[in-house]
Amino acid sequence: MKRVEIQPRNKWQSAVEQLGFGFHTTDVPYWDESVYYSLSISEVDAIEKATATIWDMSLAAVQYVIDQDLFKQFQIPDFIVPLIKKSWNEDHPAIYGRFDFCVKDNQIKLLEFNADTPTSLYEAGIVQWFWLQDFDKSKDQFNSIHEKLIAYWKILLPYLPNKTLHFTCLKDTLEDLTNVEYLRDCAIQAGIKTKLVFIDDIGWDEDQQQFVDLENDVIQNIFKLYPWEWMINDQFGKNIPIAKNEPYWIEPSWKMILSNKAILPILWKLYPSHPLLLASFFDNTQLSDYVKKPLLSREGANIEIIKSTQTILRTDGEYGEEGYIYQELFTLPEFKGKYPVIGSWVVGQQPAGIGIREDNTLITNNKSRFVPHLIE
Amino acid sequence: MKKSRKIKLVLITATLAACNQSPKDDWDNNNKIHLRSDTTAPYTRVHHYHGSGIGNALLWYYAFRPMGNYNNNRYSHSGYYSGGITPRSNIGSNSFKGSVSRGGFGRSGFSVGG
Repeated sequence: MKRVEIQPRNKWQSAVEQLGFGFHTTDVPYWDESVYYSLSISEVDAIEKATATIWDMSLAAVQYVIDQDLFKQFQIPDFIVPLIKKSWNEDHPAIYGRFDFCVKDNQIKLLEFNADTPTSLYEAGIVQWFWLQDFDKSKDQFNSIHEKLIAYWKILLPYLPNKTLHFTCLKDTLEDLTNVEYLRDCAIQAGIKTKLVFIDDIGWDEDQQQFVDLENDVIQNIFKLYPWEWMINDQFGKNIPIAKNEPYWIEPSWKMILSNKAILPILWKLYPSHPLLLASFFDNTQLSDYVKKPLLSREGANIEIIKSTQTILRTDGEYGEEGYIYQELFTLPEFKGKYPVIGSWVVGQQPAGIGIREDNTLITNNKSRFVPHLIE
Repeated sequence: MKKSRKIKLVLITATLAACNQSPKDDWDNNNKIHLRSDTTAPYTRVHHYHGSGIGNALLWYYAFRPMGNYNNNRYSHSGYYSGGITPRSNIGSNSFKGSVSRGGFGRSGFSVGG
């Protein structure tokens, strides 16, 4: 993998805004096309194979957690467990997920799995693809996210009762809305009837015991870009398992297991010393150089890197009450003081492409830049 | 080949394209933003817009802002500004069944991020 510095396109801001990508810059640039990463086809093949392998291992780990009744270790409350089991046993619809990999020294290591509410989908599927059309359309890119999303929505369509699929996220966040609208775009192209309702506006009909949208239409299938652990702790959370029409939530509730970092020690227990995994535990007694991660942390919050009992880097945040896991330290590769993480997408059970986030530190966070890539 | 051969967007780019349309004559005398959010929805006035130099994407975002009002300290939701969500939700005349309550999700009001 090489890091190549280039001149951004003229008026690149306008180019990406025309795609509907409005959060390319905050107080610092988020989309950064002054650089790209160049991967060899063998590197891409290895990432693709690793993604498929880890996906299979992850599903086995979910089955193990359910069979062994390990929900308490994941801090998952009892009231939602029957729904998790039901969604797993009945194979409720799921569409996507994103593994974060460290790729270094011919090794690929799983850092974590964003299985419930992964973002940067639009950047990975659309923005970098159009960048490549302008930069060098003769080159290839590990990115079939768009066509795989449409194809998989088509597969799911017959399984959606009453065929309407709601999409929801929080108000007041353009990033989340863009991701949701992009997924809805693909669903529309797959022939699905869709409606958007912000999650703040979802109603609970006490008489009918079901969720409704702003027109009081019943919500039967809903894609949500809002974490399960937040939903079940919200006021309406207790209504989720009692909804009489038993709506499909996408991603399904069993993703609460996979999106929880407690899955990392479980994977290590099931596949000890697997080359794609880092040693991970529920305590820090077996590691000297490690990363301490909250079970439910997002955007690199509350992460601590420890080397020989010394903290070398720590981020703030609001997570950690739920407990931590401890993962062997495997530092990101460095390119002139920049540290890239490979986000590898699974769409409809298949590896679908990558997006690269780059930071000036070893911890990738919500200010880390998204940079495009190509295959040499 | 690993990449998609062709990409078509039917929702997002249509929304943004609408933001780039030239203003109509009767738009001149106010500082409101006019846009449409899909190819079939009627043009919609977007209120509560302030300042200048704001990007298209933000205009798009404003199109999805909900509209409503407070009455006796109770917030009544009456739809979204955008005509592209559903026609019924944009007319501002929803009547809610008495048994429906809202606002029970969304307590954690910040982006889920990466």
